[in-house]
Amino acid sequence: MIASPTSVDLDRALAPAGSAAASFARLWQSLWVAPYLAAPLLELCRLTLARLHRDPAEMAAQNPHLESGTVGAVQREAVLAGTAHRSAAFSADERAVLEFAESYGLDPQTIPDATAEAVRAALGDAGLVFLIEALGCLDGRMRAARCLRDFHGVTGLGGSA
Amino acid sequence: MSARPRVDGPPQHSGNAIRDSALGRVPETLEEIIALNGAVWRRSLVPPALLEVIRLRNARTVNCVYCKSVRYREAREDGLTEARAALVGEDYANSELTRREKLAIGLADAYLGFPAGMSRELALALAAEFSPEQVASMFVALMTFNFTSRTAVSIGGMPEEPLPVTLISVEATAG
Repeated sequence: MIASPTSVDLDRALAPAGSAAASFARLWQSLWVAPYLAAPLLELCRLTLARLHRDPAEMAAQNPHLESGTVGAVQREAVLAGTAHRSAAFSADERAVLEFAESYGLDPQTIPDATAEAVRAALGDAGLVFLIEALGCLDGRMRAARCLRDFHGVTGLGGSA
Repeated sequence: MSARPRVDGPPQHSGNAIRDSALGRVPETLEEIIALNGAVWRRSLVPPALLEVIRLRNARTVNCVYCKSVRYREAREDGLTEARAALVGEDYANSELTRREKLAIGLADAYLGFPAGMSRELALALAAEFSPEQVASMFVALMTFNFTSRTAVSIGGMPEEPLPVTLISVEATAG
Protein backbone atom coordinates (compact mmCIF):
# COMPACT_ATOMS: atom_id res chain seq x y z
CA MET A 1 0.00 0.00 0.00
CA ILE A 2 1.37 3.40 -1.00
CA ALA A 3 1.46 6.01 1.76
CA SER A 4 -0.92 8.92 1.30
CA PRO A 5 -1.16 11.80 0.75
CA THR A 6 1.47 12.47 -1.86
CA SER A 7 1.74 15.37 -4.27
CA VAL A 8 -0.62 13.66 -6.72
CA ASP A 9 -3.53 13.12 -4.30
CA LEU A 10 -2.97 15.91 -1.80
CA ASP A 11 -6.13 17.87 -2.60
CA ARG A 12 -8.42 15.55 -0.66
CA ALA A 13 -6.34 16.11 2.48
CA LEU A 14 -6.35 19.88 1.97
CA ALA A 15 -10.04 20.21 1.06
CA PRO A 16 -11.11 20.99 4.66
CA ALA A 17 -9.23 24.30 4.26
CA GLY A 18 -12.02 25.48 1.94
CA SER A 19 -11.85 27.85 -1.02
CA ALA A 20 -8.10 28.49 -0.92
CA ALA A 21 -7.49 24.74 -1.16
CA ALA A 22 -9.92 24.52 -4.06
CA SER A 23 -8.05 27.31 -5.82
CA PHE A 24 -4.72 25.58 -5.30
CA ALA A 25 -6.23 22.36 -6.67
CA ARG A 26 -7.42 24.18 -9.82
CA LEU A 27 -3.93 25.62 -10.32
CA TRP A 28 -2.47 22.12 -9.98
CA GLN A 29 -4.95 20.68 -12.51
CA SER A 30 -4.12 23.43 -15.01
CA LEU A 31 -0.44 22.50 -15.04
CA TRP A 32 -1.14 19.16 -16.70
CA VAL A 33 -2.96 20.61 -19.68
CA ALA A 34 -0.97 23.80 -20.30
CA PRO A 35 0.72 24.02 -23.72
CA TYR A 36 4.30 24.71 -22.61
CA LEU A 37 5.43 21.38 -21.25
CA ALA A 38 4.24 17.89 -22.15
CA ALA A 39 2.69 16.07 -19.20
CA PRO A 40 5.20 13.17 -19.32
CA LEU A 41 8.09 15.62 -19.03
CA LEU A 42 6.35 17.39 -16.15
CA GLU A 43 5.99 14.00 -14.47
CA LEU A 44 9.72 13.44 -14.90
CA CYS A 45 10.25 16.80 -13.18
CA ARG A 46 8.04 15.55 -10.34
CA LEU A 47 10.14 12.40 -10.05
CA THR A 48 13.32 14.51 -10.06
CA LEU A 49 12.04 16.43 -7.04
CA ALA A 50 10.82 13.20 -5.41
CA ARG A 51 14.35 11.82 -5.64
CA LEU A 52 15.84 15.00 -4.19
CA HIS A 53 13.34 14.86 -1.32
CA ARG A 54 14.27 11.20 -0.78
CA ASP A 55 10.58 10.35 -0.59
CA PRO A 56 9.74 6.72 -1.50
CA ALA A 57 5.99 7.42 -1.43
CA GLU A 58 6.40 10.17 -4.02
CA MET A 59 8.59 8.00 -6.21
CA ALA A 60 6.00 5.18 -6.11
CA ALA A 61 2.91 7.38 -6.54
CA GLN A 62 0.81 6.82 -9.66
CA ASN A 63 -0.01 10.15 -11.25
CA PRO A 64 -3.68 10.23 -12.31
CA HIS A 65 -2.90 12.94 -14.87
CA LEU A 66 -1.00 10.41 -16.97
CA GLU A 67 -2.10 7.20 -18.58
CA SER A 68 -0.11 4.19 -17.51
CA GLY A 69 3.05 3.76 -19.58
CA THR A 70 3.13 7.35 -20.85
CA VAL A 71 6.50 7.82 -19.20
CA GLY A 72 8.95 5.24 -20.52
CA ALA A 73 10.58 2.91 -18.02
CA VAL A 74 14.08 3.83 -19.19
CA GLN A 75 13.46 7.55 -18.70
CA ARG A 76 11.77 7.00 -15.36
CA GLU A 77 14.62 4.88 -14.06
CA ALA A 78 17.25 7.35 -15.27
CA VAL A 79 15.53 10.21 -13.45
CA LEU A 80 15.12 8.22 -10.26
CA ALA A 81 18.77 7.13 -10.45
CA GLY A 82 19.96 10.70 -11.01
CA THR A 83 21.55 9.84 -14.36
CA ALA A 84 19.23 11.72 -16.74
CA HIS A 85 21.91 14.31 -17.54
CA ARG A 86 24.03 11.67 -19.28
CA SER A 87 21.29 9.42 -20.62
CA ALA A 88 20.74 9.05 -24.36
CA ALA A 89 17.05 8.46 -23.62
CA PHE A 90 16.45 12.23 -23.49
CA SER A 91 16.61 14.98 -26.06
CA ALA A 92 18.74 18.05 -25.38
CA ASP A 93 15.61 20.07 -24.56
CA GLU A 94 14.38 17.43 -22.12
CA ARG A 95 17.77 17.35 -20.43
CA ALA A 96 17.70 21.14 -20.10
CA VAL A 97 14.31 21.01 -18.37
CA LEU A 98 15.38 18.22 -16.02
CA GLU A 99 18.64 19.98 -15.20
CA PHE A 100 16.65 23.09 -14.32
CA ALA A 101 14.33 21.02 -12.12
CA GLU A 102 17.35 19.55 -10.35
CA SER A 103 18.83 22.99 -9.64
CA TYR A 104 15.45 24.34 -8.55
CA GLY A 105 14.98 21.45 -6.18
CA LEU A 106 18.36 21.94 -4.57
CA ASP A 107 18.07 25.72 -4.20
CA PRO A 108 16.41 28.24 -6.55
CA GLN A 109 19.06 30.78 -5.60
CA THR A 110 21.73 28.71 -7.31
CA ILE A 111 20.10 28.01 -10.68
CA PRO A 112 22.89 28.67 -13.20
CA ASP A 113 22.16 31.29 -15.85
CA ALA A 114 23.24 28.83 -18.56
CA THR A 115 20.68 26.30 -17.32
CA ALA A 116 17.89 28.86 -17.38
CA GLU A 117 18.99 30.06 -20.80
CA ALA A 118 18.84 26.52 -22.18
CA VAL A 119 15.25 26.19 -20.96
CA ARG A 120 14.34 29.56 -22.42
CA ALA A 121 15.80 28.48 -25.76
CA ALA A 122 13.71 25.31 -25.63
CA LEU A 123 10.42 26.64 -24.23
CA GLY A 124 10.48 30.41 -24.71
CA ASP A 125 9.94 33.10 -22.06
CA ALA A 126 6.46 31.95 -21.11
CA GLY A 127 7.61 28.33 -21.02
CA LEU A 128 10.43 29.18 -18.62
CA VAL A 129 8.04 31.01 -16.29
CA PHE A 130 5.56 28.15 -16.55
CA LEU A 131 8.26 25.62 -15.63
CA ILE A 132 9.19 27.70 -12.59
CA GLU A 133 5.54 27.86 -11.53
CA ALA A 134 5.06 24.14 -12.07
CA LEU A 135 8.15 23.27 -10.04
CA GLY A 136 6.93 25.53 -7.24
CA CYS A 137 3.62 23.69 -7.17
CA LEU A 138 5.25 20.28 -7.29
CA ASP A 139 7.80 21.04 -4.62
CA GLY A 140 5.24 22.64 -2.31
CA ARG A 141 2.82 19.78 -2.67
CA MET A 142 5.55 17.26 -1.87
CA ARG A 143 6.52 19.18 1.24
CA ALA A 144 2.95 19.58 2.47
CA ALA A 145 2.10 15.95 1.71
CA ARG A 146 5.10 14.69 3.66
CA CYS A 147 4.24 16.85 6.66
CA LEU A 148 0.59 15.80 6.54
CA ARG A 149 1.56 12.12 6.40
CA ASP A 150 3.54 12.68 9.58
CA PHE A 151 0.73 14.71 11.16
CA HIS A 152 -1.97 12.19 10.31
CA GLY A 153 0.23 9.28 11.33
CA VAL A 154 0.79 10.71 14.81
CA THR A 155 -2.61 12.25 15.49
CA GLY A 156 -4.91 9.94 13.54
CA LEU A 157 -6.64 13.08 12.27
CA GLY A 158 -7.61 13.67 8.67
CA GLY A 159 -6.18 10.80 6.66
CA SER A 160 -4.46 7.44 6.47
CA ALA A 161 -0.73 6.90 6.48
CA MET B 1 20.97 34.25 -7.78
CA SER B 2 20.54 35.87 -11.19
CA ALA B 3 21.19 39.62 -10.88
CA ARG B 4 18.93 40.42 -13.81
CA PRO B 5 15.38 39.16 -14.33
CA ARG B 6 15.39 36.12 -16.58
CA VAL B 7 11.99 37.18 -17.91
CA ASP B 8 10.42 40.64 -17.72
CA GLY B 9 6.77 41.30 -16.98
CA PRO B 10 4.34 42.19 -19.75
CA PRO B 11 4.61 45.71 -21.22
CA GLN B 12 1.15 46.76 -20.01
CA HIS B 13 0.86 47.72 -16.33
CA SER B 14 -2.32 46.92 -14.41
CA GLY B 15 -1.32 47.88 -10.88
CA ASN B 16 -1.56 44.26 -9.71
CA ALA B 17 1.87 43.07 -8.57
CA ILE B 18 1.35 39.52 -9.83
CA ARG B 19 -0.20 40.47 -13.16
CA ASP B 20 2.63 42.95 -13.82
CA SER B 21 5.38 40.45 -12.98
CA ALA B 22 6.82 37.74 -15.22
CA LEU B 23 3.87 35.59 -14.15
CA GLY B 24 1.80 37.79 -16.43
CA ARG B 25 3.45 35.98 -19.34
CA VAL B 26 1.50 32.78 -18.61
CA PRO B 27 -2.22 33.43 -19.13
CA GLU B 28 -3.11 29.76 -18.49
CA THR B 29 -2.17 30.07 -14.80
CA LEU B 30 -2.25 33.82 -14.07
CA GLU B 31 -5.87 34.27 -13.03
CA GLU B 32 -5.83 31.26 -10.71
CA ILE B 33 -2.63 32.45 -9.02
CA ILE B 34 -4.23 35.83 -8.37
CA ALA B 35 -7.41 34.15 -7.13
CA LEU B 36 -5.36 31.86 -4.89
CA ASN B 37 -3.56 34.76 -3.27
CA GLY B 38 -6.89 36.47 -2.63
CA ALA B 39 -8.44 33.31 -1.19
CA VAL B 40 -5.50 32.76 1.16
CA TRP B 41 -5.72 36.26 2.63
CA ARG B 42 -9.50 36.60 2.65
CA ARG B 43 -10.77 33.11 3.41
CA SER B 44 -8.12 31.23 5.37
CA LEU B 45 -9.23 29.59 8.61
CA VAL B 46 -6.55 31.31 10.71
CA PRO B 47 -6.21 35.07 11.34
CA PRO B 48 -4.12 37.38 9.10
CA ALA B 49 -1.48 37.97 11.78
CA LEU B 50 -0.79 34.25 11.94
CA LEU B 51 -0.64 34.05 8.14
CA GLU B 52 1.88 36.87 8.15
CA VAL B 53 4.07 35.06 10.69
CA ILE B 54 4.11 32.04 8.37
CA ARG B 55 4.75 34.20 5.30
CA LEU B 56 7.67 36.01 6.94
CA ARG B 57 9.23 32.77 8.15
CA ASN B 58 9.06 31.43 4.60
CA ALA B 59 10.46 34.65 3.14
CA ARG B 60 13.39 34.49 5.53
CA THR B 61 14.17 30.86 4.74
CA VAL B 62 13.83 31.19 0.97
CA ASN B 63 15.72 34.50 1.14
CA CYS B 64 13.31 36.40 -1.09
CA VAL B 65 14.34 40.04 -0.68
CA TYR B 66 10.98 41.39 -1.84
CA CYS B 67 8.97 39.04 0.34
CA LYS B 68 11.04 39.91 3.41
CA SER B 69 10.44 43.65 2.94
CA VAL B 70 6.67 43.48 2.44
CA ARG B 71 4.11 43.68 5.25
CA TYR B 72 0.42 43.02 4.67
CA ARG B 73 -1.84 45.74 6.02
CA GLU B 74 -4.43 43.10 7.00
CA ALA B 75 -1.92 41.47 9.35
CA ARG B 76 -0.80 44.80 10.79
CA GLU B 77 -4.44 45.64 11.55
CA ASP B 78 -4.76 42.20 13.15
CA GLY B 79 -1.99 43.06 15.62
CA LEU B 80 1.26 42.03 13.99
CA THR B 81 3.24 45.21 14.62
CA GLU B 82 6.70 45.68 13.15
CA ALA B 83 8.20 44.88 16.53
CA ARG B 84 6.36 41.55 16.59
CA ALA B 85 7.24 40.82 12.97
CA ALA B 86 10.89 41.22 13.92
CA LEU B 87 10.51 38.33 16.38
CA VAL B 88 10.04 35.85 13.51
CA GLY B 89 13.77 35.19 13.51
CA GLU B 90 16.33 32.70 14.73
CA ASP B 91 15.45 32.97 18.40
CA TYR B 92 11.67 32.99 17.96
CA ALA B 93 11.21 30.15 20.46
CA ASN B 94 12.38 32.39 23.30
CA SER B 95 10.50 35.45 22.08
CA GLU B 96 7.24 37.05 23.19
CA LEU B 97 5.36 35.51 20.29
CA THR B 98 2.27 33.57 21.34
CA ARG B 99 2.21 29.77 21.58
CA ARG B 100 0.06 29.61 18.43
CA GLU B 101 2.51 31.84 16.54
CA LYS B 102 5.45 29.70 17.65
CA LEU B 103 3.65 26.53 16.60
CA ALA B 104 2.88 28.10 13.20
CA ILE B 105 6.59 28.80 12.79
CA GLY B 106 7.28 25.19 13.76
CA LEU B 107 4.86 24.06 11.04
CA ALA B 108 6.60 26.34 8.53
CA ASP B 109 10.03 25.01 9.49
CA ALA B 110 8.81 21.41 9.15
CA TYR B 111 7.60 22.21 5.64
CA LEU B 112 10.69 24.21 4.69
CA GLY B 113 13.18 21.56 5.82
CA PHE B 114 15.04 19.55 3.23
CA PRO B 115 13.64 17.02 3.23
CA ALA B 116 10.42 18.20 4.81
CA GLY B 117 8.99 16.35 7.77
CA MET B 118 7.17 16.84 11.05
CA SER B 119 8.23 15.54 14.45
CA ARG B 120 5.83 13.66 16.69
CA GLU B 121 6.08 16.41 19.30
CA LEU B 122 5.15 19.13 16.84
CA ALA B 123 2.27 17.11 15.39
CA LEU B 124 0.77 16.55 18.83
CA ALA B 125 1.23 20.19 19.83
CA LEU B 126 -0.39 21.41 16.61
CA ALA B 127 -3.31 19.02 17.06
CA ALA B 128 -3.84 20.30 20.60
CA GLU B 129 -3.89 23.94 19.52
CA PHE B 130 -5.46 23.93 16.03
CA SER B 131 -8.32 22.10 14.35
CA PRO B 132 -7.47 19.79 11.41
CA GLU B 133 -9.14 22.34 9.14
CA GLN B 134 -6.85 25.09 10.44
CA VAL B 135 -3.78 22.90 9.98
CA ALA B 136 -4.82 22.27 6.37
CA SER B 137 -5.43 25.99 5.91
CA MET B 138 -1.95 26.87 7.17
CA PHE B 139 -0.41 24.40 4.72
CA VAL B 140 -2.33 25.91 1.81
CA ALA B 141 -1.16 29.38 2.83
CA LEU B 142 2.41 28.18 3.24
CA MET B 143 2.40 26.45 -0.15
CA THR B 144 1.14 29.67 -1.70
CA PHE B 145 3.75 31.87 -0.01
CA ASN B 146 6.51 29.37 -0.78
CA PHE B 147 5.42 29.06 -4.41
CA THR B 148 5.46 32.85 -4.80
CA SER B 149 8.81 33.45 -3.14
CA ARG B 150 10.59 30.58 -4.89
CA THR B 151 9.18 31.82 -8.19
CA ALA B 152 10.48 35.33 -7.53
CA VAL B 153 13.94 34.00 -6.63
CA SER B 154 14.04 31.72 -9.69
CA ILE B 155 13.07 34.48 -12.07
CA GLY B 156 15.86 36.58 -10.61
CA GLY B 157 16.57 40.31 -10.57
CA MET B 158 16.38 40.63 -6.79
CA PRO B 159 17.57 44.01 -5.48
CA GLU B 160 20.29 44.36 -2.89
CA GLU B 161 19.30 44.15 0.76
CA PRO B 162 18.01 45.76 2.79
CA LEU B 163 14.85 47.11 1.20
CA PRO B 164 12.67 49.42 3.28
CA VAL B 165 9.62 47.82 4.86
CA THR B 166 6.66 48.36 2.56
CA LEU B 167 3.06 48.07 3.71
CA ILE B 168 0.76 46.62 1.05
CA SER B 169 -2.84 45.51 1.00
CA VAL B 170 -4.17 42.24 -0.37
CA GLU B 171 -5.73 44.21 -3.24
CA ALA B 172 -2.18 44.70 -4.61
CA THR B 173 -1.80 40.98 -5.29
CA ALA B 174 -5.36 39.67 -5.51
CA GLY B 175 -8.29 40.30 -7.78
